[in-house]
Amino acid sequence: METKSKSMYDMSSSGTEIFTHGGVGYVPPSATKDDVQTCGTLSIVSYSFGKCIEWKPNDVSIETDGSEQEWAMVNTSKSPSASSSQGDANPQRWLSVRIPISEIKSYRVSNKKTKLLLVHKDRLTHTAFYFQFENADCFTKSLRSVVRTRRSRHDKHTYNIVQERVDPQMPHSFSDFNLLTDRKETVWKFVSDMRSKPYETTLSTFSKFSEYLLYKNPDERPSEEVARLFEGRPQQPQNPALDGSKSDGLSEYLIVERLKPRVLCPRGQPLSVTQWANAMDAEGRISDVKELKKIIFEGGVQDSIRYEVWKFLLGYFPWDSSTHERQELRQVKTEEYFRMKLQWKSMTPEQEARFSDFRDRKTLIEKDVNRTDRTLPFFEGDDNPNLGLLYDVLMTYVMYDFDLGYVQGMSDLLSPILSVMSNEVDAFWCFVGFMKRVFRNFDMDQSGMKKQLSQLHTLLSAVHPDLSHFLDEHDSGNMFFCFRWLLVWFKREFTHQEIMVLWEVMWTELPCSNFHLLVSVAILEREKDVLIENNYGFTEILKHVNDLSYKMNLHDVLATATAIFKQLESSPNLTVATRRVLGLSGGSSHNSSSSEDDSLSDGLACEMAALEKDCDQGDTTGVTPEK
Amino acid sequence: MSGKSAHKNCLLKVIILGDGGVGKSCLMNRFVNNHFDDHSFHTIGVEFLNKEMKIKNEMYTLQIWDTAGQERFKSLRTPFYRGSDICMLTYAVDDKSSFQSLGMWKNEFVYYSDIKDGSAFPFVVVANKVDISEEKRQVSEVEARNWCKENGDLPYIETSAKDAINVDVAFNMAVDIWSQLEAEMDKQGMSNDTIRIDPNRNGKREACCGL
Repeated sequence: METKSKSMYDMSSSGTEIFTHGGVGYVPPSATKDDVQTCGTLSIVSYSFGKCIEWKPNDVSIETDGSEQEWAMVNTSKSPSASSSQGDANPQRWLSVRIPISEIKSYRVSNKKTKLLLVHKDRLTHTAFYFQFENADCFTKSLRSVVRTRRSRHDKHTYNIVQERVDPQMPHSFSDFNLLTDRKETVWKFVSDMRSKPYETTLSTFSKFSEYLLYKNPDERPSEEVARLFEGRPQQPQNPALDGSKSDGLSEYLIVERLKPRVLCPRGQPLSVTQWANAMDAEGRISDVKELKKIIFEGGVQDSIRYEVWKFLLGYFPWDSSTHERQELRQVKTEEYFRMKLQWKSMTPEQEARFSDFRDRKTLIEKDVNRTDRTLPFFEGDDNPNLGLLYDVLMTYVMYDFDLGYVQGMSDLLSPILSVMSNEVDAFWCFVGFMKRVFRNFDMDQSGMKKQLSQLHTLLSAVHPDLSHFLDEHDSGNMFFCFRWLLVWFKREFTHQEIMVLWEVMWTELPCSNFHLLVSVAILEREKDVLIENNYGFTEILKHVNDLSYKMNLHDVLATATAIFKQLESSPNLTVATRRVLGLSGGSSHNSSSSEDDSLSDGLACEMAALEKDCDQGDTTGVTPEK
Repeated sequence: MSGKSAHKNCLLKVIILGDGGVGKSCLMNRFVNNHFDDHSFHTIGVEFLNKEMKIKNEMYTLQIWDTAGQERFKSLRTPFYRGSDICMLTYAVDDKSSFQSLGMWKNEFVYYSDIKDGSAFPFVVVANKVDISEEKRQVSEVEARNWCKENGDLPYIETSAKDAINVDVAFNMAVDIWSQLEAEMDKQGMSNDTIRIDPNRNGKREACCGL
C-alpha cells in the first residue's frame, strides 16, 4: 500500500486513466431521495500516490475559469465529504468524486448489474454508482485487474479488496489503449462542439490534448492528427465531416486521413513442382525459405506436392534438413507415434472403467469422428477405413497431450491434414505442429479465443471504425459471431480445396502476426453495408455471419486481407494496440507477449466479461458440470 | 389472455441443451427444415433457426437455439440462456451418461437464464434416437419418467430426428406448456395484483435477445 504523505491527495497531480466507463450515474450522499442522479464517467486512474476510482459528471465545462474542476474527496481518513466548492452553490453540478482504492474495503454489484456499491474502510461510508446499461461487471472486471479481491463468505455478490496489485506493466498497457480510444472520442466531440461553441470547445479540447501529450511517449503522440485538427482542416468545405453532423461521416474522414490508400494485391500462382525441386540443393536442404514462403503466401501450393510442403510448413521437417536426415527423423517419429498409440490401445476395459478422464475424451472423439467431413470423398461412406485413421490420430494426440485432451474443433483441424498425408504418422506430427500454433484456441477458460476476438475488434476499429462502432452499438462488440471462424481457422466457411490453400497461406506466418484476423476483417468489410443498412441486431448479425459459410471467394478475401495489411503497415498513425496485434515495430512497448496476454488490453475484454456473466460465480454454486 | 392480440407474431426463444452428440442440431433441423443428415457436423459456437408456428390462432416465431455441448465452451454458451422462453433438455437413449447429465444441464440453465422460478418454467425432457435397436438402448422409459417426476414433474417425450418421430410433437408440447404457464401467470397477475416482469418482453425481444 502507498505511504500516506501530506501531498498524497494533491488534487492537481496528473494521473493516468487505466479504465474509463461511460453512462454511470452518481447520487451524492447529501442528495434527497427525489434527486435525479447525474450521469457521468467512472474511471480508474493511477496517480503517483496510488490508484483512485474517479467519477466525473458529463457536463463539466470550463466556463468557470478554466482551472481544474473541483473534487469531492470521498476519503475516510479525512472528513467523508470534504469538498471545497467555493464558487458554486449547486452541489451536484460541480461534484466529481475521487476515492483512493486503498480506502475501499469492499464492493458489491446488485440490481441486475446496474448498481455498484463501494464500502469504505470505516464501514460507514458507502458510495453508490448506477450503470445505465446493466454493465457494472465491466467496471469491476477492470477493478479486479488492479486490485486483488476475495469473494465475501457472507454474500456472494460482495468482494473484499485485499490489496492493490503490484504490476507496473499492466496498467501501462491499459493506459495506452484507453488514451487512444478516448482520444478518438474526443476528436469526434471536438468537431461537433466546434460548430456550436467554438471558444469553449477549443479551450477544453486543447487542455485535454495537452493531457494526452503529457501522458504519452513522444513517439506515440498523434501529432499530425492533432495538428490537422487545430489547423482547422476539418472545416474545409469538401470535407464530409462537416457536411453533416453524423458521426459516420466523421469516421470516414478519419479513415481517409489516417490510413494510406489501399493498393491492390493480386494473388500469385501456386508453388509448382519445379519451383519446389529447385528450392532444394543436392542434399535436399532448403536455404531460401523466405522466398519459398513468399510464393506460398501469394499463391498456395500445387496439389501434388502439398503432402511434402506441409511437413515443412508445420514444423515436422526442419527446412535445413537433408533428405537423409529427414528419413532418419521420420523413422524416429514413427516409433514415437506407435509407442504413444500403444498406450491407449493396450488399455484394458477394467483400467478404462477406473479412468474417467480418459473415457470422457474417448467418448467425445468417437462421437465427433463420425461427423467430421463425411461428405469428403476421403471420409465418405460407412465403414470407411480413413475414419479409423482419424480416430487413431486423435486418440494418440490425447496421449501426447493429455491435459489438453480432445476439444471439439480439433477433428476439423486434423481432417484436411489427414486427407493430404493419407498416413497416420505424418498426419499426427503435422497435426502436432498445427496444434502448437492454435492450442490457445482450446484453453479451458477460452481466454485464447477471447483475446483473439478482442484483437479482431482492435483491427476492425483501425480499418473500419464505423463498422466496429456499429457492432458496439448492436451488442456485438464482443465479436462473438466470429467465434467459429477463429476457433477452426475458417474450416466451416470454405470448401475443402479452399481450406487447404487458406491454411498453407496462413502457415507461412506472413506477412505479419495474426493474419487470420485480417482475413476476418476482409470478410467483414464485404458485409459491412449489409449489416449497417439493415440495422441488424445481435441475432441477425450472428445469423448473417453464420450463413456466409461456403458463399465466399477465398481469392478475393485473401487479396483484400493482404491489401489491408499493406495499408495498415504504411499508415503512420496506427494505435499501439493495432501495431501490437500485427507485430509491427512500435507496437511492442512491452518486452514480452505474456504481459499482453494478462492485461485487458481492450475494452473488449470487458465485454467478454459481460458475456461470461461471471463464470466464477457458477463454480461456487454447484452447477459445475460433472463432465 | 387478454393481451394476446398485442403479441402478434411474437418471438419465442427455445433453447436446446444436452451433451455433445445427442442430436440437438438434428432435432432443430428436422423440426425447421424437415431435413436429416446422419453425418452432419458437430456445432461450433452457437446457431439458431427460426420457424413460424400457429398457436391458438396466433402466429409465433420460434427461435430455436442450438449450442456446442462440450463443457469447454460453457462460458460462451451460457450467455445465450438469458431470455429463453422454453428449454428442451435432451439426451440420447443409447447414451446413459447423456441422461445422467440432464440434472447438470437443468441447473446450468436455471442458473444462467436468470429465471425467477425454475419450477414454473417450461422445460421438456426429450429422449432422442429412439430409432435405435432395443439392445442398444441404455435408458429405459420408466427410468427416464421417474427422473422427470423427481425433478419437478417435467414433461417427457421420446423422439427420433432421424425417422421424424415425435419431433413436431415435442416442440408443440413445449409451446403448449409455455402457453399454459403464461395464462396462469396472467391469471395470477390479475388476482394477486402482482406485477409481471416486463409484460412486453416478447415484443421487444428481437432487439435485445442474446447478450
